[in-house]
Amino acid sequence: MPEDLSDHMITLKHLAIGYGKEQALLRDVNLSARPGEMVALIGRNGTGKSTLLKSIIGLIPILDGTCFLEGIPLETYDLRQRARIVSYVSSQVSHLPAISVRELVSLGRMPHTGWMGRHGEQDRQLVELALEEVQMKPLMDRKLDKLSDGERQRTMIARALVQDTPLMVLDEPTAFLDIPNKYELIRILTGFRETGKTIIYSTHDLETALMCADKLWVIHQGRVLEGAPEDLGISGVFDALFAESGIMFDAEDHRFKYGVTSKGTIRLSGEGDLALKWTGSALERLGFDTGSHSGEISIVVQSSETGNRWIVTGKGGEYSFENIYRMAQYLIRDD
Amino acid sequence: MIVSLVLLLVVLVVLDIRFGSVRITLVDMVRHLAGSDTLSEQQLIILKKFRLPRLAAALLVGAALPVCGLQMQTLFRNPLAGPYVLGISSGASFGAAIVVLGAGATGLVATWSLAVAAWLGAGMVMILLLFVSFRIKDVMTILILGIMFSSGLTAIISIMQYFSQATALKSFVIWSMGSLGNVTGSQLLIMACAILPLLAGTLGYAKVLNGLMLGEEYAVTMGIRIQRMRIIIFATTSILAGTITAFCGPIGFIGIAVPHIARFLFGKSDHRILLPATILTGMVVLVLSDIVSQLPGTERVLPINAVTSLIGIPVVIWLVIMNRKAQSI
Repeated sequence: MPEDLSDHMITLKHLAIGYGKEQALLRDVNLSARPGEMVALIGRNGTGKSTLLKSIIGLIPILDGTCFLEGIPLETYDLRQRARIVSYVSSQVSHLPAISVRELVSLGRMPHTGWMGRHGEQDRQLVELALEEVQMKPLMDRKLDKLSDGERQRTMIARALVQDTPLMVLDEPTAFLDIPNKYELIRILTGFRETGKTIIYSTHDLETALMCADKLWVIHQGRVLEGAPEDLGISGVFDALFAESGIMFDAEDHRFKYGVTSKGTIRLSGEGDLALKWTGSALERLGFDTGSHSGEISIVVQSSETGNRWIVTGKGGEYSFENIYRMAQYLIRDD
Repeated sequence: MIVSLVLLLVVLVVLDIRFGSVRITLVDMVRHLAGSDTLSEQQLIILKKFRLPRLAAALLVGAALPVCGLQMQTLFRNPLAGPYVLGISSGASFGAAIVVLGAGATGLVATWSLAVAAWLGAGMVMILLLFVSFRIKDVMTILILGIMFSSGLTAIISIMQYFSQATALKSFVIWSMGSLGNVTGSQLLIMACAILPLLAGTLGYAKVLNGLMLGEEYAVTMGIRIQRMRIIIFATTSILAGTITAFCGPIGFIGIAVPHIARFLFGKSDHRILLPATILTGMVVLVLSDIVSQLPGTERVLPINAVTSLIGIPVVIWLVIMNRKAQSI
């Protein structure tokens, strides 16, 4: 299929980025994203995720190559035109003014209003809609310094949303969030795709990226690879990405595991699906393989109305434990 | 809030005209304007030569200095920024010191050379800060550098004072106490010509000031030409603060404190409201300070710089103690 630049929301061709030509962080970067796609930029700390994002929206000058937005080089746009094509959510959450949620979100209309910044009916409607979309409408009169991290981040996203741009770039939007807030935020972002918006966000969180992104941009050893999450999974880049850290990416489970050397095999059997499942993950954490037939130690999980019991046989005796914590202490005890 | 502040301002203006060694009441003034000869020749001279120019100076200073402070606070995103803290007033003082102490200029020449020297001094510090702020992103560092510039210039001024003639020294010391009463008609005209268009201009870019509240990255991505805006704000601030310092001497803590009083009174951060609110609040505070400095009922007059400092310092202390608020303007 022939490539047409104007088909793409953003195309990077032979891009070199960094602070100064001699110390380019990344060279010859070739990437693209289509309208309505959600792209997760993955890479370890200090590999240039923020620098890449800031470069493609013009906050940092590009060292070499071209960034095309809707088929037109970035530098061709003047600032105001650019502000109507791409909106940005920074990774910095500190130092926000003590204004209300609604006031902050309204600021996003700036590139569309006249010199006095007066809001018309359409502007007001967009602000309302954006507040609803990020579920901040009930809190719209609250001051920013009274918000939780998740609420603040959703407010910043609503501000970018009312800027009404086909491309939204977010620098580590989930960095400070707890798990429920993280998933909520990702859910909101994925919702934007339906309007044809392209979302590019950087993250450390490969697990959620695999769940929701249409495409990954992965920075590894000074190169940026792109592809569907699954394509990159097949290529084995995730294992390589975290190889030095002792963490392994389990391609079957879609999650990270500590690469602990095996301490032996334990036979696990018993009743209660939930209790068995958690016992299994506890053994995995402790560094034991589990099998149903072999192994010098065996664990039987017994479920009754009064609770669960863990019967451990082997290791010179048979012991019964009332919880996994006690059992774990026994298993890792030096003999 | 606007209505009550305007009413308060009107009352204060009337009181400001009334108090002084010679009493001039509102009733007499109204009757005089209506055609009857209720005011004596002496009262008229006092009114035209002293009271009204002093009042006009108070209104101009009250409108302009807080606008400097507000713009600096927004640009640096720091509640403690102001023409004083950033060394702009010291720069203007330095320029004035060169004219008064160094050249010993007096009279009409002094009027103009003082103004130009104060502009240059304020502009010098501003350009230095502008240069620094392009390279250093940390706001606290910039503020500390401003305080250092300010202290350095003060040190140089005290050396100049040490070596200067007694008469020049005396006029400089009196100038440094600040005075709204020494402004002559022609100086007032210069002040008005420099201040009023700039205030109008500032109101014209209120929307952009709103955009700066989120910091430079957001400002740029919302289409604001940040370099140009910085230069405009720096230039505006040095001309405003420089002009005032040249003719009225340093007037402390108005620039930093009044924007906070206005924020507190109006509860708004939108510069389209906050700017006019700050101007109005500043005029009220300055006219009030002027009345206090006249020490109604006595023959004595306090230096205006001392009065404004005593009003402004509690506000700044309150700000520092309420540090959580101070983190976010």
